[in-house]
Amino acid sequence: MIMSRRAALLGAAAISLCKPAMAQDASWPSQPQHVFVGFPAGSSPDLLARIVTEPLADKLGQPIVIENKPGAGGVIGVQQMLNAKDQQNTFATTINGPLTTAPRLTPNLGYDVAKDIAPVALLATSPLVLVVAADFPADDLAGFIKAAGKEPDALAYGSVGKGSGAHLTAELFSDRAGVEMLHIPFTSYAEVTTAIIGNEIDCGFMAPSAAMQYVQAGKLKILGITSEKPFAKAPGVPVMAGQAGLPDDFRAELWNAFIAPAATDPAVIKTLNTDINAILADDAVQKRMLDMGWQAAGGSPEDLQKRIAQDTKVWGAVLDRINAKQ
Amino acid sequence: MSGWDGFLHGLSVATQPGVLIYCAFGVVLGTFVGVLPGIGAMATISLLLPITYYLSPEAALVMLAGVYYGSQYGGAVASILLRLPGTPQSAVTTLDGYPLAQQGRAGVALFTSMISSFSGSMIGIFVLIVLSGALARAAIAFGAAEYAAMMILGLVAASTVGAKDPAKSLAMVVLGLILGCVGTDVNSGVQRFTFGQTELMDGINLVALAMGLFGVAEVIANIHAAERTGVPPRVALRELLPSRAELRRIPFPALRGASLGSFFGALPGTGSTISSFLAYAAERRISRHPDRFGKGAIEGVAGPEAANNAAAISAFVPTLALGIPGDPIMALMLGALVIHGVQPGPLMLEARPDMFWGLIASFGIGNLLLLILNLPLIGIWVSMLRIPFRWLYPAILIFVCLGVYSVRGSSFDMFAVALIGLVGYALSLARFNPALLLLGFVLGPLIETNLRRALLIARGDPMVFLQRPLAAAFMIAAAGLIVMSLVQVIRRRMRA
Repeated sequence: MIMSRRAALLGAAAISLCKPAMAQDASWPSQPQHVFVGFPAGSSPDLLARIVTEPLADKLGQPIVIENKPGAGGVIGVQQMLNAKDQQNTFATTINGPLTTAPRLTPNLGYDVAKDIAPVALLATSPLVLVVAADFPADDLAGFIKAAGKEPDALAYGSVGKGSGAHLTAELFSDRAGVEMLHIPFTSYAEVTTAIIGNEIDCGFMAPSAAMQYVQAGKLKILGITSEKPFAKAPGVPVMAGQAGLPDDFRAELWNAFIAPAATDPAVIKTLNTDINAILADDAVQKRMLDMGWQAAGGSPEDLQKRIAQDTKVWGAVLDRINAKQ
Repeated sequence: MSGWDGFLHGLSVATQPGVLIYCAFGVVLGTFVGVLPGIGAMATISLLLPITYYLSPEAALVMLAGVYYGSQYGGAVASILLRLPGTPQSAVTTLDGYPLAQQGRAGVALFTSMISSFSGSMIGIFVLIVLSGALARAAIAFGAAEYAAMMILGLVAASTVGAKDPAKSLAMVVLGLILGCVGTDVNSGVQRFTFGQTELMDGINLVALAMGLFGVAEVIANIHAAERTGVPPRVALRELLPSRAELRRIPFPALRGASLGSFFGALPGTGSTISSFLAYAAERRISRHPDRFGKGAIEGVAGPEAANNAAAISAFVPTLALGIPGDPIMALMLGALVIHGVQPGPLMLEARPDMFWGLIASFGIGNLLLLILNLPLIGIWVSMLRIPFRWLYPAILIFVCLGVYSVRGSSFDMFAVALIGLVGYALSLARFNPALLLLGFVLGPLIETNLRRALLIARGDPMVFLQRPLAAAFMIAAAGLIVMSLVQVIRRRMRA
């Protein structure tokens, strides 16, 4: 297999020597496409990628090979996409981290988001919910903020690691609510949930899908959600923005996007964006995503570009605040 | 539904032909990937995952689980025959299994391992049925302080695994602890000893480390022996089976190993590698002839193999009952359940009793199949030793490379395994015990993370380890072990 792939690459190189490099090959896609995913098979970013690439392969008329290259919070997947020899047939899906906070958190990142990456489309977003144990004394956000504000570090919250969405969201929340909470880093939502149920820590921000069944089992309760609008998978959970003294524009979402190397032909990006938007508009696709706790998104490459810039700024400010505390 | 009623109901699910056949397929596949060094359950399950879209949820989960516990059986084979652990959790089986094989008793070692694996699994299933509720509550009650204290006890207890030369043992444990520090520090996010390599941000790959230290190092060590094709004579079936005296040395170590394994497997984050080390350490401690260990003690095979199989079963307790996966493989199983619309967790038993009990009943059937499959295979595995080294070892290197690459598709890890192999060879020349390095590597990060987490939660008060009763008990036991060893050393000095 290695040999045949090398042969294919040599072939591709030979063909590309025969014609101007930048000209769009009208026959694209003429070979299998590769999509890098920076998380292992079976993980939620992997499943999202598969939900989108299955119909995409049908539309393009070429098979799409998912290449799982997990590590470094998804950064390795993006690096591998950029290192691939064939920059016209190689893409990636990634969570927000590698495009927004990684330049601040990962030394030797090896890429510049603005220069090296061409956004294609936002695939899906996921809000976070604020979770406490069922026996937590307060039942709403105002009561929670009051309890957290008694003294600095009165409440401890769990996250899935420094710089993770759960960590940054909690710090953004603390900043906007004017409280100080103690950060206890874990490595997975499962550990955070256990620690909250076991009353080791007080609270945490997490994906609704990680929390809902414990709410139904009467072990956890949810005090609010970080999206702009209520979320179908967290019925009855109030939006945090504008509540209990939080600003109206309070929003924190994880997202997942389809990206390409900067050298990709703009016509290819346009084709992909059109196809992906059509796929995301499909009810069945939306339902499959929602079942996993993700809201299908979509939009133009420029929309994604804006989102990257916006979040880089918001989370950058939160990182400044975290660093200032240390 | 009580445990036993549930189990009986589960049997009716697991014996449906459409489920049974996938159970058989899973355990057979598991055995073979377990035998191949480096290629383990993790890689196999992730490869099979997309295929399971086309199966019924019961068949899919039963098959994936079969691969998981089946690989625990196979893992011991190469450990015993070639000193090449097929999986990290069977690394400790090399310590006594390989000497047995060198003495021409490979069949006995394999038989012991199969029987112990089977007993371990069965005890694990029994514990799962009777105690799953209690174990799930224990998993919740275990906080960072308890984990840290328990791991410290584990490290102290197991550090004596190869205690011929205490200074050398300690050196290996410490080296393992140091290697365990490589990667992103969970608390501060700081990169430690990564030398700017993104590939090292998540630490050194456990499979690469185990395969390098044992597999590649063993191949290098045998290069000069390659021409000495010591083809063992054909062995009669009778000689494959242990003698009556040897048989009597299996049940109690297997029972102790299985108890340890059931407990540790149920705690998220500890897993079967640690339980096999602890079972080995326990056998060595209570044995009246500790000097026999490392030279082919039956107990040194029976205990760890029972432990890692029991742990593989009880690891399903937190995964199914709490929705909390204990290790990466369990996380993958959890993912598989979610794909099939089953949400593991406190509601699973009520929402999907068919799935829950069907899976558990399939463990029983699968292990029975594994025993029936593996006993006749012993003869075939032993004849593997007759393959000339010049064919066997290159093939092993290929499998090691495939296996290491399959973990996360990283070519960096393949260079790492080669380098670690050279280091492992140097260590074996100097008569260091690489198993202890592996132990330090596995336990180190767990101790550090939990110790620091416990201190953070306690707002910096170290008394937390003595105020929480469970944690205090572990700490006192660890201190007791250290004092005991010191007393022994002093006594020996006085006598000398």
